[in-house]
Amino acid sequence: MSGAAIPRGGLAKFRLPLALVICAAVVYAATALGTAQGEQLSWSGVMGLLQRMVALGIVAVGQTLVLLVGSIDLSVANLISVSAVIASHVMNGNTDAIALGVLAAIAIGILVGAVNGVLVAKLKVSPLIATLGVGLVLQGVLTTSYETLAGSVPASFRVLAYGRVAGLPLAILLLIVVVALAGFVLARTAAGYRLYGVGGNVQTARLAGIRTDRFIIGAHIAASVTAAISGLYLASWLGAGTPWVGRDGGYDLDSIAVVVIGGTLLSGGRGGVAGTIAGVFVFATIDAVFNMLQIDPFLGQVLRGVIVVGAVASYTIRTKAHVA
Amino acid sequence: MSSMGAISIWTTEPEALLTMRDISKSFLGVRVLSHIGFDCRAGEVHALCGENGAGKSTLMKILSGAFPADEGTIVLDGTVRRFTHPSQARAAGIGIIHQELSLLPHRSVAENIYLGREPSRGGVVDRARMGRDARRALSRLGSTIEPQAQTGDLTIAEQQVVEIAKALAVDARVLVFDEPTAPLDVVESGKLFRVIAELRATGVAIIYISHRMREVFEIADRVTVLKDGRGMATLTAAQATPDAVIRLMVGRPISDLFPPRATRPPGAVVLQIQDGANGHLAGINLTLRAGEIMGVAGLEGSGKMELARAIFGDEPFTSGEITLLSGAAAAWSPREAVRRGVAFLPDDRKSEGLGLRQSLRDNALVVRRSLSRALALPSRGNRAPAIFDALFRKVEMRAADVDAPVGRLSGGNQQKVIVARWLAAEPRLWIVAEPTRGIDVGAKAAIYGLLRDYAESGGAVLMISSDLTEIIGESDRIAVMAGGRIVVELPPGASEEAIMAHAVHGPQVAEALA
Amino acid sequence: MTRGLASLRRINPTILVFVVLLAAICWMSPLYRTPAGLLSLLQRAAPVVILSCGQSFVLIAGGFDLASGSLITLVVVACALITGGDAGWTWVALLASYGIGAAVGVVNGVIVARGKVPSIIATLGTLLSVKGIAMMWSGGAPGGYLPANLRFFGRYVWRHVPLVGRFPVAVVVLIISIAIMAWLMHGTNFGRLLLMIGDNPRAAELAGAPVRRFRMLTFVISALASVTAGILLGGFSGVSVDVGTGYELQAISAAVIGGVVLLGGQGSMLGAVFGGLTLYALFTLLNLVGFPEPMRVAVQGIILIAAAALSARRGRRI
Repeated sequence: MSGAAIPRGGLAKFRLPLALVICAAVVYAATALGTAQGEQLSWSGVMGLLQRMVALGIVAVGQTLVLLVGSIDLSVANLISVSAVIASHVMNGNTDAIALGVLAAIAIGILVGAVNGVLVAKLKVSPLIATLGVGLVLQGVLTTSYETLAGSVPASFRVLAYGRVAGLPLAILLLIVVVALAGFVLARTAAGYRLYGVGGNVQTARLAGIRTDRFIIGAHIAASVTAAISGLYLASWLGAGTPWVGRDGGYDLDSIAVVVIGGTLLSGGRGGVAGTIAGVFVFATIDAVFNMLQIDPFLGQVLRGVIVVGAVASYTIRTKAHVA
Repeated sequence: MSSMGAISIWTTEPEALLTMRDISKSFLGVRVLSHIGFDCRAGEVHALCGENGAGKSTLMKILSGAFPADEGTIVLDGTVRRFTHPSQARAAGIGIIHQELSLLPHRSVAENIYLGREPSRGGVVDRARMGRDARRALSRLGSTIEPQAQTGDLTIAEQQVVEIAKALAVDARVLVFDEPTAPLDVVESGKLFRVIAELRATGVAIIYISHRMREVFEIADRVTVLKDGRGMATLTAAQATPDAVIRLMVGRPISDLFPPRATRPPGAVVLQIQDGANGHLAGINLTLRAGEIMGVAGLEGSGKMELARAIFGDEPFTSGEITLLSGAAAAWSPREAVRRGVAFLPDDRKSEGLGLRQSLRDNALVVRRSLSRALALPSRGNRAPAIFDALFRKVEMRAADVDAPVGRLSGGNQQKVIVARWLAAEPRLWIVAEPTRGIDVGAKAAIYGLLRDYAESGGAVLMISSDLTEIIGESDRIAVMAGGRIVVELPPGASEEAIMAHAVHGPQVAEALA
Repeated sequence: MTRGLASLRRINPTILVFVVLLAAICWMSPLYRTPAGLLSLLQRAAPVVILSCGQSFVLIAGGFDLASGSLITLVVVACALITGGDAGWTWVALLASYGIGAAVGVVNGVIVARGKVPSIIATLGTLLSVKGIAMMWSGGAPGGYLPANLRFFGRYVWRHVPLVGRFPVAVVVLIISIAIMAWLMHGTNFGRLLLMIGDNPRAAELAGAPVRRFRMLTFVISALASVTAGILLGGFSGVSVDVGTGYELQAISAAVIGGVVLLGGQGSMLGAVFGGLTLYALFTLLNLVGFPEPMRVAVQGIILIAAAALSARRGRRI
């Protein structure tokens, strides 16, 4: 086995993410100039581009953690809807209820993550099926009870999506905080090291005395909480949550795709958030470029599918092993 | 026989660091261990010998806390211990180097050594200290592996060292080596033995499990033989002769292991390679005739496995002339090779040989089915019990339940299923890689006999092996590889020293000598 | 013989559950107590059962096919646009549908088998693209109905049939489809090798099995099953962009309920058939007890998890 040499340590680790970001940025800039939409390259244009990353970026960070630990979460899209709907229902236009609404959304995230984690770690259900099933349950319950859950977020909560601090959108700061936190945990803490261990080889981790179940459940809770935060952000952005906001956004496929494009192994044990965030940037630029080129949205959808598959294939096509 | 008079089921010497006494264990009502006991002193290498199923690994799993014993006690340093989780055994100072390496390929060496025990302050890993500690731990083993290196980039032998460093990092006082040399060649095994000797000198109690008799006699101070879940005897190094140990294990002497060599002169040319080369191989010239068993020896990385894979089309030759049964055979695939009558026994049974959840029948018939038309009935003739009876009689195996998943069989029987699969396809050329790795003596003898029978019936065998005993005992000709080339061809019965000299010195020296 | 019995024992729970559900349905509604009533249940269940069988090929060989739902949509849209309501174009539409299906299957198969993209991502990608094509082609909001002779397969019921009275055409389609797929899975080397491929593709490859080609074929089979299901569904209902929505998950759920172990190497057509029937019977029962329609999805999720947990439990015994 010669095996592709994998960059290790120091800045080398960021070679792939950097390359992705630079390529995407060049395409974006070229399109903006080519279509004479120079305003897309202004500060506000770039901030607009970055803001597109927030909802997907936050949930993709969580997805990175579950994929690293060797699991997967297909329930995030529906959970995003649940979080958005619950938050706007609890807040119901009332500024005083903001804290309660946020708390409720996060609490539901923790609960759903715990259910996912227990199904995968304790009951040994295939993570694909477990999270697919949980997602279906969320979707069914939400669609059924949506009418009784109507509501909207108060104007003061919409600061999250529209507010700025020193010219920088608040939402982008939120994304930076989430990414930095996850990045720090993964790269510097014992918990992060062990997470890689569990994802790399459960048996090895167990023999090393690591409580592997806790890491799997923990990663799922983290992923669900990030989905809940994304839901809160979308509620703030749209003014109210709807039962289809998550599914229409395609956050389940997209969150997995950006993580894989960022170089994290689907089977776990290798990767990180830097790559993920680069993947999110690539996706945001694709959308922006399609917009600038005024591509038919349906054609955009077709191209998006092609790009996702093509991007992943560019990593996988050289592997000799069979994949399922 | 007089030495057998001194048999004691267990000895409880006062200085024993670890004593396992009277251990019994049953699974689903089947007793797999029956009142086994043995002890290991600080600074001693104690070998455990026995065929597969004799109870060695069950005993070690009890020691490691994988599951508890039904009866019996474990005494470590004078205290009775009972482990219910591997982490408890680890904390008590018992380290195990498993047969299958369990390192994380994508993590650094240091991260692997300290997995689960990372030196940290407030949850934040002290990476500088971890690197320093790892370097010290590795140098203690006489190794200069870079702690920041990615583990997957290391050779198997280097990974083995990392695995030992990892086991020692918990201040292990008892180290269990479970078939540690299975993936190693002779030179690397030699290095490992030096490490073990150093560990012994520092007072570690070492339990050593191996199927390779030679190395057991090379390093063990005492040998305990298990058979059918019982302790047969504990012998001192002086008492333990190969014949004595093997007779205790199986009840037959070692000389019976290999069948007599070819009786007829070799027949027509089956395989001819001229100047075969690819990314791993260069200048391969080789002629193999019907009725021959050609052994291929070489160190890890010498290209011997790559040669097998090249001929079988898994990583085919990119240049050169390859003639198989008078037809050209370049740049082909395993499927093409199989269709042309080439068989391949892979060195890694579990990952490359078997569908563990599929039945014995499905595993034994997979080649025949691959060769038949896709839409043909799978049942025609194949379901007939007679076919299985004949096949399994050939491989000396009872076809008790052909519908049982093959994963339930012992390693030796699994290997026989793969052998049966190829026999059923009647190949002309058979490439076998490490045909007896990790299987017991009884099954080994059976497989040696089968390969010889196959050659006698007109087949040609190319046998790649790291086990020099089997290379010497089974081959009609011996090719030695180094640096991706065949450096020399030796006659049958060549000495181990001769093979090693060529394997170690490589093509340059061989060319200089020529 | 013992093999037949053993495999029967393995999937027994699904059949048992189906029988219990069926009994409950008959007890709740007199409509289903007649042969004609049961046949109409079969007629309605036909798409899910066919999908479940097709999906099982992919699952057994170790993959996933998430594109089947949007392929159904594309097929219905294609039929509507090709015929434009003109019955004369029906045969063209049918041929075109199977052509589209085969193409989508080949694309999925090539991406997975040659491009080595995990099938869950590959087929999610084609799901997006196929749905996008359906939308583009139809301009976003197709409507109306297919011509009557195209709806024949899904809708038509022969009357005055001896013994049973009424006999739906869809049941004939169902039986033929099951027969073909059961033969492929259990009556050919192809099917037996698929199980080996799903269990250990590397071992299968080194034993000379055409792993990539067979893997690819599983996606084609699944796609053709989706086309068949789409034609039946087009007969049941009108043309819209939502006809196929959710069917890929129903197909996987049904197959899992039937005991096809995910990630390959185990399963049978009998299980897939009864998995599909069980899922549909469950939906019918929930309808009868007046369960809110959207909650069906939630129940499906719970059943899916329960079935997977159960098979994980049974699988661990090996």
